[in-house]
Amino acid sequence: MPGPVGLAAGHLWAFLAALRGAGVATAPPKQADLLRVIASSPPPGPTKLYWYARITLLQDIGDLPAFDRVFDTWFRYGGQEPVPPAAGDDGEAPSPNGAGQDDPPALDALPGDGVEASALSTYGRREFGPAGDERRPVMAALRATWPAVLPATPSRRRRPSRSGDRLDIRHAWRRAHRHDGEFIELRRLARPARPRRLLIMVDVSGSLRLHTPDLLRLAHTALRAAPARTEVFTFGTRLTRITAALAHPHADRALRAVSGQVTDADGGTAIGTALAHFLANPRFVALARGALVIVLSDGLERGDCAPMVRATARLARLSHRLVWWSPLACSPGYRPVTRAMAAQLPLLDHLGGVRDLPTGLTEVRRLPAVLTAPRHTAARRWPTPDPRDPQ
Amino acid sequence: MTPDGPPVPLSEHELAAALEREGYFADEGLCTAVHLALRLSRPLLLEGEPGVGKTEVAAVLSRVTGLDLIRLQCFEGLDSGQALYEWDYPKQLLQVRVAESRGQDVGELYREEFLLRRPLLRAVQDERGVVLLIDEIDRADSEFEAFLLEFLGDFQITIPELGTIRARTPPIVVLTSNRTRELHDALKRRCLYHWIAFPEAGRERAILRAAVPGLEERAAEGLVRSVQRVRGLPLLKRPGIAETVEWARGALALTDGGSPWPTALRRALGLLIKDEEDTRLVLTHAPELFDNA
Repeated sequence: MPGPVGLAAGHLWAFLAALRGAGVATAPPKQADLLRVIASSPPPGPTKLYWYARITLLQDIGDLPAFDRVFDTWFRYGGQEPVPPAAGDDGEAPSPNGAGQDDPPALDALPGDGVEASALSTYGRREFGPAGDERRPVMAALRATWPAVLPATPSRRRRPSRSGDRLDIRHAWRRAHRHDGEFIELRRLARPARPRRLLIMVDVSGSLRLHTPDLLRLAHTALRAAPARTEVFTFGTRLTRITAALAHPHADRALRAVSGQVTDADGGTAIGTALAHFLANPRFVALARGALVIVLSDGLERGDCAPMVRATARLARLSHRLVWWSPLACSPGYRPVTRAMAAQLPLLDHLGGVRDLPTGLTEVRRLPAVLTAPRHTAARRWPTPDPRDPQ
Repeated sequence: MTPDGPPVPLSEHELAAALEREGYFADEGLCTAVHLALRLSRPLLLEGEPGVGKTEVAAVLSRVTGLDLIRLQCFEGLDSGQALYEWDYPKQLLQVRVAESRGQDVGELYREEFLLRRPLLRAVQDERGVVLLIDEIDRADSEFEAFLLEFLGDFQITIPELGTIRARTPPIVVLTSNRTRELHDALKRRCLYHWIAFPEAGRERAILRAAVPGLEERAAEGLVRSVQRVRGLPLLKRPGIAETVEWARGALALTDGGSPWPTALRRALGLLIKDEEDTRLVLTHAPELFDNA
């Protein structure tokens, strides 16, 4: 950018760099858009510049608070450090990977291998013990039930089929060659159903101590029933992918392998941080996209529940359906009135009670109804708490 | 891409005035967004809650620019054959038959006359340019977005048998999403983005004035105040602008029938709130919501 604009241009580049630093992703073509707009019609004031920048650069409304903060720093306070945002900085927060420099999430302090413990967590390994004979019939029933209840979506790739909706003219044409160009039979193509992914997230924190082995066995039956499309994670104070460990055909051996991997069993709870960690990883996000996501947790979050609700909201948007199974919901007197559960109930597609394998089987059988119902209707099954008194 | 995109080079003020003439009251952010979309020839991705007038933007743009509106409604299972193009196989087979019976050479079967043009291809091929509305993109499966990338990035479509078809006049593209699921970054990167919030009170009154002639100014003021309070409740579905207008029309019709205004508002509540549980919630808060309305 030429002459007198040089200074302003430097400021602008620094602003773009600051945005990146604050975790607001801006692709180069979007930055080029902004520069083109500014070059062709210089904004008369900061408000116009704000809209130019916001419309060209912003990609998601969730990034808006972070974006506004950076913009204010660079263009509304003369480049000085702004007053730090108030403690209860409400409104929609930035995406987890853009959590900003002011409060790094606890998990950022962890090394990447996730083996060492954070200040929050207790270092806990746990042996889960054998399943016992009485569980085998239920587990067999679960394995048999899963394939029938998992959702499917039409495949993008057409395959030859007798009753397809489209002519396979290439194939028909090739066949016709054998009969001197006479079309004896037509071939058809259809879009076969392709199974959606199933993502199971198991809470292994101390409050679920009694139920953890059965919840893991439940996940094991799903993984056995649909090995190619099921992913299983555990979370307590940190996130662990246990799909590979749980893949052993024998449940007891699989659970033993899991207990070797999960180091935060029976410890504290940081559901929000663990889920945010999951969502910050693009490869994990791809597993949740369009999948049936089942979270097995009591939803008892210690401290501020806002990060957990935000993470649930994003998970709900990514998933095909988001189902929450809580051991607490098994008891007839249960009401989702804790702050976290009440806040996220409108985001869920279903909230069911699962504390062991039989209740798991009941809920698995209920999945087809959940999958055909409209989204975000979990709240309808549960009495709405009075909004003026959320506790 | 050349920056000579806009078919109608409107300044931003002219654009705002033109939108208003067509009965669309846009705030500064939306005006800037539309203006930049025209000037930079970029698709415009609009997100917001249902009923804030996302779809209407495309319809109004088509009237303002005088270009045709092509609409692609997205739904689960939508595929490239319904959105981009498809080969007309029965016609191709017939062509083979005809050529056979006349003893002629069949010739090339994959040429343009055997192409069924779906909305995106029509938008690319239109000489004058069009306004293309890709409505509720979040309803389509996430895999479908991949089919849109080439079109949104360069306004071109590649058909393996024919080659690449590029738009002579870049279409004005508006995508809307209710944010029921998250869109891929690749798609968002190719678009300008704007979040349409619920209108603030002044703008909603202006909309009411234009849409419901005969509504008294004081009544409109109270009604808008009530709607804004209702939106503050934890509802399953918060009322949009269309619902506000319907509610005002309904209540106005009831007062013509002799009901006093506050009673009319309550009796017409079904036009504002369309869910049993929401209605119950609103009614429990009725005194503070509808006082001096």
